[in-house]
Amino acid sequence: MNALVLDGFRGEEGQGVLAVLTNALAQAGYATEVVVLREKTIAPCLGCFGCWIKTPGECVIDDDGRAVARAAVRSDLLAYVTPVTFGGFSSELKKAVDRFIPNISPFFARVQGETHHQRRYRRCPSLIGLGVLPQPDREAEAIFKTLVAHNALNWRSPRTAAAVVALDGTSDVAAIARGLIEAVAR
Amino acid sequence: MTEKKALLLVGSPRGIEQSTSGRLGGRLLDALKERGFETDKLHVHAVVRSPTETERALAAVAWADLVVLSLPLYVDSFPAPVIALFERIAEQRVGAGRTRILLIIQCGFPESEQNATALAIAECFAAEVGWRWLGGLALGGVETYGGSAHEVLDLIGKALAEGRPAPDLAANKAMPAWLYRIGGNIMWRREAKKNGVARRLRAKPYAD
Repeated sequence: MNALVLDGFRGEEGQGVLAVLTNALAQAGYATEVVVLREKTIAPCLGCFGCWIKTPGECVIDDDGRAVARAAVRSDLLAYVTPVTFGGFSSELKKAVDRFIPNISPFFARVQGETHHQRRYRRCPSLIGLGVLPQPDREAEAIFKTLVAHNALNWRSPRTAAAVVALDGTSDVAAIARGLIEAVAR
Repeated sequence: MTEKKALLLVGSPRGIEQSTSGRLGGRLLDALKERGFETDKLHVHAVVRSPTETERALAAVAWADLVVLSLPLYVDSFPAPVIALFERIAEQRVGAGRTRILLIIQCGFPESEQNATALAIAECFAAEVGWRWLGGLALGGVETYGGSAHEVLDLIGKALAEGRPAPDLAANKAMPAWLYRIGGNIMWRREAKKNGVARRLRAKPYAD
């Protein structure tokens, strides 16, 4: 099993949480690759739909966004690690997530009562989201968990889980990381 | 006393003139202009490309007392450049305690409810930076609305200019979801055919 961890921090502030998560993944038997998104050249999605109707399955922009999208498809577990930003993802994480659109089909389907896109690949990675806040914020945490769950629906992830940890010492980060990994292993 | 300075932030990569976001936001801006507002427009993707342009955008945000953010839903949230600009606004608390924000958001699915998480993110941003949240007009499958979205935007513009709360923010869509899905799937095939890739629409270039 392999895991792709996306580091969505703008600086080094997430290193402690990332180390805890990668240790927990190793203990659970995952071979893990961490992509530090701030070090990658990933242009914003152009909204051109070229990845669906011109070069199906691949973004028309030839930069690091393609490699990250390819690695995501080939992983068993995709992990977003990000500062919780207004309840959502940081701009660093989102620039990569916006470029995952080639990995799904343009065709529509009805999924859980809503319109979504059909899957492009038979196998899709499970998705975990680990958000980081300076201190607990229940409202932001609720938005973050909903966002990850909706992303999983869009990517057609077989399993998903999300959690938020606070850096004020009130969160047991190791236990939360283990819980996320166990939740998608079931 | 409320000032009358409105800034439209267009969060579509397609720009102000070419995008649905620009056209919808522009309609509201026109309604405000007719009622005495000074107005300005910025294309978010263009301004976040350079530090100089970002500073200019932050100055424009500081100038405005009403910010209208008009954008497409991107993977349940805002396009990345909009988040990048909002991170900068929040760092500097530009307009804290003074600015009002209204969202116009549209998604490529027929269900407007799919914009709910993005609306929550916008409201969370407003709370964090100290702006007054005026609510949002959430649209699904915007091309099926006909004129009703524009009518709602005109009503919102009138209400804001008169210092009243925005009316119930809704527009009626004309097409049921099942028909939207069928029509959309036909459209994708037709567009791919034009590009000579109709047979490759389900290609799997990243398969193991």
